[in-house]
Amino acid sequence: MPGERRTIFPLKSIQSSIAFAFSCLLLLAIAATSLSCYRLSVDAVENNSRSYIKEVINQVNTNIQSYVDNMENISLLAMTNKDVKYYISNDSFISDEESRPYEKRISDLFQSILYTRKDIASIMVFGYNGRFVSDRRITTLNPNAKIEDQAWYRNARLAGGKSVLSAPHVQNIIQNEYRWVVSLSRELKNVDGLTADGIFLVDLNLNVINDLCSQINLGSKGYVFIVDGDGNIVYHPQQQLIYSNLRTEKIAEVTAASSGSSFEVDDAQGKRFYSVKDTNFGWKIVGVAYETDLIGYKSTLGRTLLITLAAVAISLFVSVVLSHRLSRPIRHLQRSMRLVEKGDFDVQAEVTQMNEIGQLSRTFNMMVAQIKNLMQEIIRTQENKRRSELQALQAQINPHFLYNTLDSIVWMAEQKQHEEVVLMTSALAKLFRASIAKDQELVPIRVEMEHIRNYLLIQKMRYANKLDYRLEFDEAVLNDRMPKILLQPFVENAIYHGIRNKPDLGTIVIRAMQRGGRIVFEIEDDGLGMTAEQLEKIRETGDGENRSKGIGISNVDERIKLICGPAYGVRIRSEREVGTCVTITIPKWPAKG
Amino acid sequence: MRVHRFTAGIALLLAAAVLFAVFYFKLFTVGSSGVKTIVVVLKSTNVRADFWQTVAGGAEAAAKEAGARLETVGPLKDTDAATQALQLEEALESKPDAIVAAPINDERVMGFLKRIQEAGIELVVLDTPLALSPQPAEVAGNHREAGRQAGRLAAEETDGKPMAAVLGDYAASTVSSEREAGIREAVGQDGFAGTFYVEDSEEKAYDATRSLLAAEPRINAIAALTEPAVLGSAKALKELRRTGDVKLIAFDSTLYEIRLLEEGSLDAMIVQRPFNIGYLGVKNALKQLGGSRVDKSSLIDTIVVTKINMYSPENQKLLFPFR
Repeated sequence: MPGERRTIFPLKSIQSSIAFAFSCLLLLAIAATSLSCYRLSVDAVENNSRSYIKEVINQVNTNIQSYVDNMENISLLAMTNKDVKYYISNDSFISDEESRPYEKRISDLFQSILYTRKDIASIMVFGYNGRFVSDRRITTLNPNAKIEDQAWYRNARLAGGKSVLSAPHVQNIIQNEYRWVVSLSRELKNVDGLTADGIFLVDLNLNVINDLCSQINLGSKGYVFIVDGDGNIVYHPQQQLIYSNLRTEKIAEVTAASSGSSFEVDDAQGKRFYSVKDTNFGWKIVGVAYETDLIGYKSTLGRTLLITLAAVAISLFVSVVLSHRLSRPIRHLQRSMRLVEKGDFDVQAEVTQMNEIGQLSRTFNMMVAQIKNLMQEIIRTQENKRRSELQALQAQINPHFLYNTLDSIVWMAEQKQHEEVVLMTSALAKLFRASIAKDQELVPIRVEMEHIRNYLLIQKMRYANKLDYRLEFDEAVLNDRMPKILLQPFVENAIYHGIRNKPDLGTIVIRAMQRGGRIVFEIEDDGLGMTAEQLEKIRETGDGENRSKGIGISNVDERIKLICGPAYGVRIRSEREVGTCVTITIPKWPAKG
Repeated sequence: MRVHRFTAGIALLLAAAVLFAVFYFKLFTVGSSGVKTIVVVLKSTNVRADFWQTVAGGAEAAAKEAGARLETVGPLKDTDAATQALQLEEALESKPDAIVAAPINDERVMGFLKRIQEAGIELVVLDTPLALSPQPAEVAGNHREAGRQAGRLAAEETDGKPMAAVLGDYAASTVSSEREAGIREAVGQDGFAGTFYVEDSEEKAYDATRSLLAAEPRINAIAALTEPAVLGSAKALKELRRTGDVKLIAFDSTLYEIRLLEEGSLDAMIVQRPFNIGYLGVKNALKQLGGSRVDKSSLIDTIVVTKINMYSPENQKLLFPFR
């Protein structure tokens, strides 16, 4: 068995081999394709997500930019407005009373702008001459808030005519109003374009930016934040946490990153991508997306992989079942064949399907039937042959023997040896009766013994001073039966080949005994013995001298084997100058009844 | 008999695969519906209650960060214990993974908190220290430290010779008594003029301030623990023209108080960080769900805001919760 394991398929049956091979093939193919699909999808998803984030950031940028541009435009409008210029001009051509209509006109203008723009919180102009005007008719400034201290005010003055965008802050200059805004301020120049007259302020509701940023969906955890050029946070969804150091943000990396670039961070908060975009007013908009969100599909992909595996498992199972079903008739056939091998020719393989295997089974059945017929025919033929041979054997009383015997009788009658004549004639008569009797093939050993005795009696009378014989038949076997006239040819052989040409007296001993459930006959002579060639000849033809078509010893042997089985038969042992011993073994046929 | 062994092997493999698949899907479905659910029960969900709105904001930030589902409820008025008890009961019945509650001090509320604990739902208590056993995890402003900050500030402003009076609301209020204790600690026995309870009444505070200053002229600092106390006291000081002379220190911030701070009637505010309270509350709840232990009591530092630093970027965020 261990040797068989050397084959590619260590499995014995076709079914298992087929199943094994196909399973391996299936598994390999599916695993390979699934894995490569998985890798490809993950890459694709990641790339898509990155470009999606960039797109989103660009969108945010564009939106914020449009708000800022809008504020810029409003500031330009104010800057170029004549009324505003006059109103805040230091020239005294407008007295305080005269300034009222100006104030009203400017206020109306601002108000109309404000109506159209929901994102603007307030528009105001502060003249260095102390006048100020806002989008409202009545504006009370917060007495506790000094404009000069406000960052937007100072920065606008420093910028000298360029617009300045502030970080988000609480605008507290109007009494009782504390709004979160982003301020755009700009110093307004005199008509001459050189001297500064005041500061223009437009506040953008921070809500606008806040809503914009908080509505951005970068997965369940991703977010957008904005820093200004100095790295101060303009907007961050968790600004308070950062202020109280509960959270850190990668501000330094973001400030260092160039516009449109992105980088990856992997720390305690998880792996995430930062995508940075510069705006043209100095802010950096940053999108942060977590890998787990980006590749949220990963689990879905993994699930798909699993489904594939399950499908493989099922197909494996199905393949096993199928191959089992397919090979079942083959196995049936195999089993039937094994029975035939053992000699059972009554086997019929069942034919369930009319496919190749069904046809095979049918052919097999036909073959077995044919073999069975042939076998039976052979057995019949053999039987006939044996019978005819036996009959021939039994019928064949050597004519020379008869002639010689009759000669001897005549000779004895002339010598007036009446008793011998009677003895010999009756023996001859018995001999003939036995060989003519056709009623039964098996006779008791006792009968055969009598037959041999009669035969030897005649022969002894003929070769009076040459032949002696002994019959040593066990009493126990006398009632058992044996084929008729089995021993005579061998005794004949012993006389003609062993004793007749021997110068002095020869003895033939015939024994019958039971040995382990078998009956063994021995015909032993102390005659001349035979050479190997003679022995061979005897085997072929029996005594070839007197009979041209005698019964070969080997024929007898074969016959016995045919009738009784391979364990039985004839064995000859012979030695020159010592003698010959023939052993015949037959089964024990007990007496009838 | 190898065939049988092979078939058996395949069958085993299959069974394993099927089992694995079943478990995986089970885990998967559990995982998708197993997003942690947290109910936050606040003292108030009134949009005007800046403090609680900011707490809710912090809670949301923490939930988003962890990918948890958050539900925020609370009565409209922060004294409506009946509604809060009802909401706690609903929260309990919805079987969330954790409940983060800022309980109103009330028997019914306490009863439900107890039941929540018994139901095995993780409980984190915000803002108000509670006497529950086993003691739930707590996230609150460090009221005692706030008191100390106030006391230290009073001492600084009075050149180290403070004589501070405290205007509290009720003797039973745990928050107020913590603050008071902190103040006493900071100013010492000699600098402490006493605590006066004015309930939630501006008028009482006004009267108390007047009588206090009349009775004890040495008082140079008043710590007003509640908004009415601050407003009443500021009004009294203004009328007595003692503004700036007697340092007025407030706790927490409201718009009125901010105005007083701007105009100088109020010298300082000790401000909590409600966003952090909400954030840490939810975060701790999630941590406990994750199996890691958290501090039984997380105290959030308070900030001293004066007129000078009130518009710094950090303090703006605290004083003017952005919505």
